[in-house]
Amino acid sequence: MKKMKKGKITMIITAGIACFVLVLVMTMQFKIVNEADITSIENMRKSELSTELANWKTRYDEVNNQYEETVDMIEEYKNNSESNEETNNLMDSELEQINMSLGKTDVEGQGIIITINETDNEEIEDITADDLLVIVNALKLAGAEAISINDQRIINMSDIVYIDAAKVIRVNGERILAPYTIKAIGDSSYLESSLIGNGGAVDEMRKKEQDVTIEKENNVTIYKYNGDIETKYME
Amino acid sequence: MQNKKVVAIVLGVMCFALTAGICIQIRTVQATNSSVSNNYEENNLRAEVLRYKERYDNKVEDLANAEEELEKERESATKNDTALKEKEEDILEGNKIIGLTEVTGPGVIVTLSDSKKDASSSLDPSSLLVHDTDVLSVINELKNAGAEAISINDQRIIPTTGIICGGNIIDINGEKVGAPFEIKAIGLPEQLAALDRPGGYLELLRSYSVEANLEKSNNITIPKYTGTITYEYAKAIED
Repeated sequence: MKKMKKGKITMIITAGIACFVLVLVMTMQFKIVNEADITSIENMRKSELSTELANWKTRYDEVNNQYEETVDMIEEYKNNSESNEETNNLMDSELEQINMSLGKTDVEGQGIIITINETDNEEIEDITADDLLVIVNALKLAGAEAISINDQRIINMSDIVYIDAAKVIRVNGERILAPYTIKAIGDSSYLESSLIGNGGAVDEMRKKEQDVTIEKENNVTIYKYNGDIETKYME
Repeated sequence: MQNKKVVAIVLGVMCFALTAGICIQIRTVQATNSSVSNNYEENNLRAEVLRYKERYDNKVEDLANAEEELEKERESATKNDTALKEKEEDILEGNKIIGLTEVTGPGVIVTLSDSKKDASSSLDPSSLLVHDTDVLSVINELKNAGAEAISINDQRIIPTTGIICGGNIIDINGEKVGAPFEIKAIGLPEQLAALDRPGGYLELLRSYSVEANLEKSNNITIPKYTGTITYEYAKAIED
């Protein structure tokens, strides 16, 4: 009787340990599954990793260039601190770059001109503010350095909305009418192919039989933003 | 003796169930998560990516320090001249607007997340997810309501920022961010909150069962853009 009890206890303990180990392994497994972060490079495959590497290399080079430029600029300021004229020139060169980003200067360069015509055919959908928004976003992704719609410069705070009451599209608060002309400066071949490639913004519009043409140009002129850019709330 | 048999059977069944559970788990992990794979080439690439990322992060820090120094140099170079002082102000203000400095102010925080509903309960499961066009439209609406600075998951929106969706990840400024998306905007909170009006864009998103929330705040901090802005094709036209 005693012997049997001893055997039973040993068995229970062994079983207990086995169960404990099994449960532990299971919890660990669950944790791994939970922690798998889709944006983490741990979970990328070879082709994704190659793209990611190229991406970081480019970004490193860009930031390194910027760093060197900034260091040069500091030197220039130091060397010319006695001369107001030189300091003035330095500031002008800094401002030129900033004003380009702000959209406060006319710019020119290689690029594309997209023309979108409204048609009389009732079966073809009208052009919406969203269509224009998607094209502008696609252009930015393709590296466009300056964009305008019907000569309204797209700046950081530009909106493209449809006003129901007036049945009109507004860009920067100004009404724009068809035909819509979107100008963009950047690598013209790349800009064009990103729009007309399969699933591209213009490709999708052409599938709906909307009338969109793209022309590559060696010299596109994009005018500056006409309004005042002012901020009231941010510091 | 009878008792012992029952115990043995119960234990056997339990162990079997647990082992089966573990097998299923391991299979799932192998199917969804390649971190278990020990591909030599992939690991090399991964290490390389991490190295470049680190070099990039270090350079970004160097750049931030250099920019601070530049600001000081500029300040000391302009302290004796009011015309120059004005230009310095223009540079600082311009950098704020294009996203090269951190800014604070009142505004709103919009949160968009994928629906918690079971995907099989919907006719179109894709409508339960947040898409790049949804984020794009929210940004556009915020600009329309007068937003002065915007970020998505702390990625600052600059004039050339595009947004692209790949699977369930959205790519902003070359950084990958996943849902939920936290969109911060600085501006007049009451005006920005118009997004949440009846018939507004957030209500539209909710009707597709995407989770959308808007919160007003008096103190929002939007980080600066950490990349660089360069012009390769556009040239300023002198007037």
